[in-house]
Amino acid sequence: MKIQRKRLTASVPAFAMGDIGFLLLIFFVILARAQDDSHLQWQPAKLEEADMVAAPLASVTIDTGFKTYLDGKELSNDELAGALMTILGDAPAGQRNVFLKVHKEAKASHFEPVIAAISEAGGDLIHILEPDEQTK
Amino acid sequence: MKLQRGKVLVDPPASASSDIAFILIIFFLVCAAVQPETGISQVLPKTEEKKDKQEQSKNLEVSITPTSIVLNGSPLKLPEFAQRLTAALKQKTRDADKIVTVKSSPDTPYPLWIDVSQTIKEAGGILTLELESDRVINVE
Repeated sequence: MKIQRKRLTASVPAFAMGDIGFLLLIFFVILARAQDDSHLQWQPAKLEEADMVAAPLASVTIDTGFKTYLDGKELSNDELAGALMTILGDAPAGQRNVFLKVHKEAKASHFEPVIAAISEAGGDLIHILEPDEQTK
Repeated sequence: MKLQRGKVLVDPPASASSDIAFILIIFFLVCAAVQPETGISQVLPKTEEKKDKQEQSKNLEVSITPTSIVLNGSPLKLPEFAQRLTAALKQKTRDADKIVTVKSSPDTPYPLWIDVSQTIKEAGGILTLELESDRVINVE
């Protein structure tokens, strides 16, 4: 007599699909955000009338080492205008926001050439600042 | 005789606690990453070459150093600077006359520069930067 072996089935439990989908979604969200400049070290200057600002097309940062970064990638001030023009493309005025995040200890020799480059690229400059609660 | 009912313990499965912790970490990471930014906007027309020196000399000129703000040759403190600038700009009617040329020394700190530029904006002036390389930027 031949005894038939019991077949084992290994299936992914259907009730876990929601969790798996959610984790994948979170994974890709984090991956997308990892391309930004959140890894850069800088401290914003304070200003009393700092308002909420709209989302940018590009973000320029001058970090604690006074190096310039465009969307998290280091580049020289000479390269900045060209790189910004490529990013901003033909976006209409008012939608060409460029965030400028300058470390509070930076000097004019660091940030003025960057402002010049943003101006040259036709960007709408937005200084990122921290609201000064003490003076309010 | 009274029979005691067996107590039913409902513990969350221990194997899921790492998943819960992971989801919580991700949640707080995403929350931290999407915090809205605050700041001030400046509309920058494209960089242009320096205009006629004679025409430019009619504009208000501001020099900034780490220790002083100089308006048309007079060193001032920030509150006084704001008053003098507002008074000077009130007399001007044409936009072209409201241009304020700002020249910063290389060691001017960013917070001071922001304070001065914001004061000019609030006084109704059109900020123009004069850079070392003789490039002029108009900032509305």
